[in-house]
Amino acid sequence: MTLYLVKRLGVLLASTAAAAVVVFAFMALLPGDPAEIALGVNATPEAVAELRSQFGTDRAPVVQFLDWAGGLAQGDFGTSYVTGAPIGPQIGDRLGVTAVLVLGGMVLALLIAVPLGTFAAVHHRNLLGAAISVASQLGIAIPAFLAGILLVFVFAVQAQALPSGGYVPIAENPAEWLRGLVLPWLSLGLVQGAVLTRYVRSAVLDVMREDYLRTARAKGRGATGALWRHGLRNASIPVVTVLGLQLATLLIGAVVVERVFVIPGLGDLLLNGVAQRDLLLVQGVVMVLVAAVLLINFVVDVAYRLLDPRLR
Amino acid sequence: MSALLTVEGLSVGADSVELVHDLSFTIGPGERVGLIGESGSGKSLTALSLMGLLPEGVVASGTARLGGRDLVGVQEARVKRLRGSELSMVFQEPMTALNPLMRVGAQVAEVMTLHGRSRQDARQRAVELLARVRLPEPAEIARAYPHQLSGGQRQRVMLAIALANEPRLLICDEPTTALDVTVQKQMLELIAEVAPALLFITHDLAVVASVCERVLVMYGGRVVESGPVREVFTHPRHRYTEGLLAASRLTPRGTRLPTISGSVPAAGRFPSGCVFRNRCPHATPACETAPALTGDGHAFACWHPAG
Repeated sequence: MTLYLVKRLGVLLASTAAAAVVVFAFMALLPGDPAEIALGVNATPEAVAELRSQFGTDRAPVVQFLDWAGGLAQGDFGTSYVTGAPIGPQIGDRLGVTAVLVLGGMVLALLIAVPLGTFAAVHHRNLLGAAISVASQLGIAIPAFLAGILLVFVFAVQAQALPSGGYVPIAENPAEWLRGLVLPWLSLGLVQGAVLTRYVRSAVLDVMREDYLRTARAKGRGATGALWRHGLRNASIPVVTVLGLQLATLLIGAVVVERVFVIPGLGDLLLNGVAQRDLLLVQGVVMVLVAAVLLINFVVDVAYRLLDPRLR
Repeated sequence: MSALLTVEGLSVGADSVELVHDLSFTIGPGERVGLIGESGSGKSLTALSLMGLLPEGVVASGTARLGGRDLVGVQEARVKRLRGSELSMVFQEPMTALNPLMRVGAQVAEVMTLHGRSRQDARQRAVELLARVRLPEPAEIARAYPHQLSGGQRQRVMLAIALANEPRLLICDEPTTALDVTVQKQMLELIAEVAPALLFITHDLAVVASVCERVLVMYGGRVVESGPVREVFTHPRHRYTEGLLAASRLTPRGTRLPTISGSVPAAGRFPSGCVFRNRCPHATPACETAPALTGDGHAFACWHPAG
């Protein structure tokens, strides 16, 4: 296990490094010179050249990359060409907001999917079990941003119960912070929960057909007790795979949902960066998103080993 | 001698299809009874109905009593307490019968904690049980996961689970079919040695001959012949038993292998009257009426018995 962890950690670092190369290369290949963008169309060539050397964009790409990557390793994302502000702290602030949004959405999705999916599996012959399947199918068909708009319409515009957007830091007012996050969490969690419900259902159905569940009943457990004690952990293995993939989807989905609810997260920062042609900022945010996905995969792989002794 | 297990008029059906018809037999204390027949004859369903573990949609009726307690047609909560304590079962497929995510010792201990033993006590006794089913290094096996054991070892673990609470009846459903021939023999000897009273399901006549005292021959969901093993195997009366024995006998090289013509019909497709008549070489119009299982000790249900 320790050896595996060391190896897997090595893979994580190597893939993150490779991702940094790819992200940098893509940004470098994009047309548009930060110095020209900053100075506008009427700038003299001398002024542009001077700003270039000030930004360091006149150096060879390899040198620029090493400079950027070396900074990343120390948590330094560089300084924005547009605003002149350091990028690292901005990303740090926004990352927390996005993480709360994504994790909250995921927890909500799990809270929906595990009981519903299990129930649908146990009652797969009844009308109610079938109804859950149909409802989750419907949920899958709705994208998160549409769910968000519908939720705003119902709860914010019609019922006036919750804010339609905006973000209050938790330190400022915890109650308002929570109220502001309810609809974003719902719009991410309902859709992902619907997807996850189907996976949980099929995983539990598979496990219910396993011989070891019959063994557990032959020992004197009831059907529910056998499923609880011997089924759920086995069923969680395929679900963890999907969960990892979904977390990545949620992260990307959050970019859109942040826009709908005016939440100052990473997605909002990314879109602002794109709008202002703040190349280094975009580069940094993309790098953080990619690294987060790689980290999720790492956690999923380790979770597998912890769950399934056959893999150890 | 009062019987340990009394089965009377046991029928098992799904929807409108009858899978086991009006089965009656007894097992005495300490008696080892074999239940043989081809696949699809209703052997496993009979066993599962005694355990109360029939698949969804399959229902048993009639009576089965184990030491005065009803097994069929009673609430799940009441049979549940008997399973794993008063009667237990070893299944055919050892590779999938154990939970892959749980240590072997814990799976053996579980059946004891479920029936009231303390956790610590159960853990300790689990190791003793693993030793009793002749697993080498039982303490190490207890810490292992199922995938680290061979098929034969896993089946021994299943046997240890089945024996843990000193049940009064052990049901084995083809416990050696999935094992290597070399391991089969050891396993059979072990079962014969440790079983309190035994209901042994198999399609292998040689196995029945080596383990059991009495045999029930099943076909089409009915017992067609029953009696002491030696008697039934040397003087089969029912034509189906006769065919089974002929098919399992070693034949000289160059001669045609004897078989029973045709194949077991699908559930619900057995002929009326004698269920075997569409495959029986001796069938006459008389067989359109169902023959009763008659005879003391050695009983059979056939209009044209052999011998």
